[in-house]
Amino acid sequence: MVWLPRKVTYVFPRMGYSYAAFESFFQILGYDVITPEPSNSQTLKRGVSNSPEGMCFPFKILLGQFLKVLEENPDKYFKIVSLESYGPCRFGYYSPLYAKILKDRGFDNFEIVNVEGIYPPWYRGIPRFFKKLIKLIGWHTPWTGVKAFLIAGWKVYAIEQLERKLYYLIPREKIVGSAEKAFNRAFERIHHAPNKVKAIKEVLNEELKRMDSVKHVENVELPKVGLVGEAYMLMDYSNNLEIEKKLAYMGVDVDRSLWVTNWTLDRIIKTKEHLNHMLEVNKGYLDFFIGGDGQESIMNTILYKQKGFDGVIQVLPFGCLPETVAKQILSNVSEDYDIPVLSLSFDEQTGEAGFITRIEAFVDMIKDRKAAKVGKKKSTTVASQ
Amino acid sequence: MKIGVPRGLYFYVYYPMWYGFFKSLGHDVVLSVPTNKDILNLGVSNAVDDICISVKVYHGHVKYLLDKRNVDYVFVPRVVSEDKYRYTCPKLAAMPDLIKSAFNKDSERILSVNMYMNQGKKPLLDAFGKIGEKLGASVKSVKKAVKEAMGYQEKAVKCLRKGHNFAEIVKNIRNLDKLFDEPVKERRYNVALAGFPYDIYDGYMNGDVIKHLEEANVRVVITDMLNPKLYKHYTKYMIKDLFWHQANVAAKGGMYYMDSKDIDGVITVSSFNCGIGAIYEKLLDLYSKETNKPLMHIVVDEQTGDAGLVTRIEAFIDLIRVKRGDGLVAS
Repeated sequence: MVWLPRKVTYVFPRMGYSYAAFESFFQILGYDVITPEPSNSQTLKRGVSNSPEGMCFPFKILLGQFLKVLEENPDKYFKIVSLESYGPCRFGYYSPLYAKILKDRGFDNFEIVNVEGIYPPWYRGIPRFFKKLIKLIGWHTPWTGVKAFLIAGWKVYAIEQLERKLYYLIPREKIVGSAEKAFNRAFERIHHAPNKVKAIKEVLNEELKRMDSVKHVENVELPKVGLVGEAYMLMDYSNNLEIEKKLAYMGVDVDRSLWVTNWTLDRIIKTKEHLNHMLEVNKGYLDFFIGGDGQESIMNTILYKQKGFDGVIQVLPFGCLPETVAKQILSNVSEDYDIPVLSLSFDEQTGEAGFITRIEAFVDMIKDRKAAKVGKKKSTTVASQ
Repeated sequence: MKIGVPRGLYFYVYYPMWYGFFKSLGHDVVLSVPTNKDILNLGVSNAVDDICISVKVYHGHVKYLLDKRNVDYVFVPRVVSEDKYRYTCPKLAAMPDLIKSAFNKDSERILSVNMYMNQGKKPLLDAFGKIGEKLGASVKSVKKAVKEAMGYQEKAVKCLRKGHNFAEIVKNIRNLDKLFDEPVKERRYNVALAGFPYDIYDGYMNGDVIKHLEEANVRVVITDMLNPKLYKHYTKYMIKDLFWHQANVAAKGGMYYMDSKDIDGVITVSSFNCGIGAIYEKLLDLYSKETNKPLMHIVVDEQTGDAGLVTRIEAFIDLIRVKRGDGLVAS
């Protein structure tokens, strides 16, 4: 019998709009790829019923998405991509648990591939890193690999530019919904753009101009709200119930602290600088590395205050270890720096109505505070709209 | 001076060491009372609501000691790692920060230092040196105190390996040698408890699992009694080691007990919303399918009623009795 390499299909964790970039990454390498659908009641149900009860919410979401893909395509052989680290956060043990749970459910048409950072002891860490990298991208010419990373990076960057523009435009647009319409079109064009840097640049510039031409008012003072919290929940719109869009439609200038680009830069390229910066800003609040995004949450809250923001919302999955720590310490930060902080913890039972009420109340409070500072005594309410 | 040591978290692992150190420097060690309803309430009202119950209870113990006027310092160490490349959970790594944030006014009375355990003498000397400096002790006396502290810890570990549990060690802290000479009682059944020491030994929180089991003629063995060398090979089953030392002990120790023939069943004890507990419980779940050992999970939270727990423990004992052919408990 002739040994033939198996035809593999890649599945990766879907996170926000960045899935478009990951899709092209694997397409450039010449693989089939299936993007899981955004999390909905079906995937959540699968995920929750198969994962340990106390496990973190992102684990359940992703397990549900993978399970749905595996169930729907029993005839394909999958490589499930999972990023991984070795740190205090439970994220570091996701992929072994996925492997064990999926095997226990009776699936055998998959293997988990992951890329993890180099962790000590280094003489084992470095060979392991390269072994896993090769397992992920397969044997290709170095140029193909570099190109895949480059294109994916550019697409991520382009999508982020569009998203930033969207959240800038929504509270300022004259016709409700026009900015979102322009964004959806722009996103689809980037998604299906040819895999060349030049082409992506062109499409991005064109679409940014087109979005700028959406009728909107400039020069308005809007209350500013910063979003901090756990990276996955923050970046994936289907799990945080589109909190950014909702805030933007309430007439708030919303800024998210973590994006794929700055997350990657801080964590992988400028690690040391980033850690020192965090310890400096957080001095007296959290003097130790606790993994996850807990330290970032505290740091960004302080930085937001210094940049003149009016409020901060912390988005965390229920039971997240580092974020829970940050939640307790944020109450002190909020007092000392005089900035309102709202912690929203998400789990599988989060209902949309209660969620909207809470952020509406928060936005009302911020608007009142802002008005009181300026000297106007008029109080505005959003809830009546 | 009087140094308060809260009866929670790493108290149940490193108390002999801390006791030895402060005693050698000539300070009194004041322990908080064993967990009771008041302590639990103090903790629940002072800690953030999402956090695990063990940390809440710890807040209660710290508050109890801070409320005592004659306690000069409350010792809240940050145990960073317990072995080479094996660390602690983020909540515990941020413990002094959490305590300082909860009890902002008393933050000067909190004695905290970063500790690296089981990695030789040097990191311990550094850590205890800082405490000694704060307490006004000379370098020489600190060195002597560290030596004594390590002696206490070694003796305690010896007792643990022999089969005495940590509650006995706390009781007999003054003469551990005598405890070591005492024989360990043999009983008809053997049940292993897997979990973090601070969940297993806190009798109020877990409805006195150990006591109830012993009353039913069960000898209780606990994962911290095992020598780590015994369960090294389970890394292969777990694909990779867990980052957290205590979780490794619980998971691998639990698997070791599942494989050993003289153990009748395994019970895990963890606190609600522990997070890490979810991982080792799942691993043990999957492993028990391979070995067919009875396994029960006890998850404690602030609302746990005693009666429900007792019923579950009794049912578990019945299961073991039936498996051994002894029949149900006559009732």
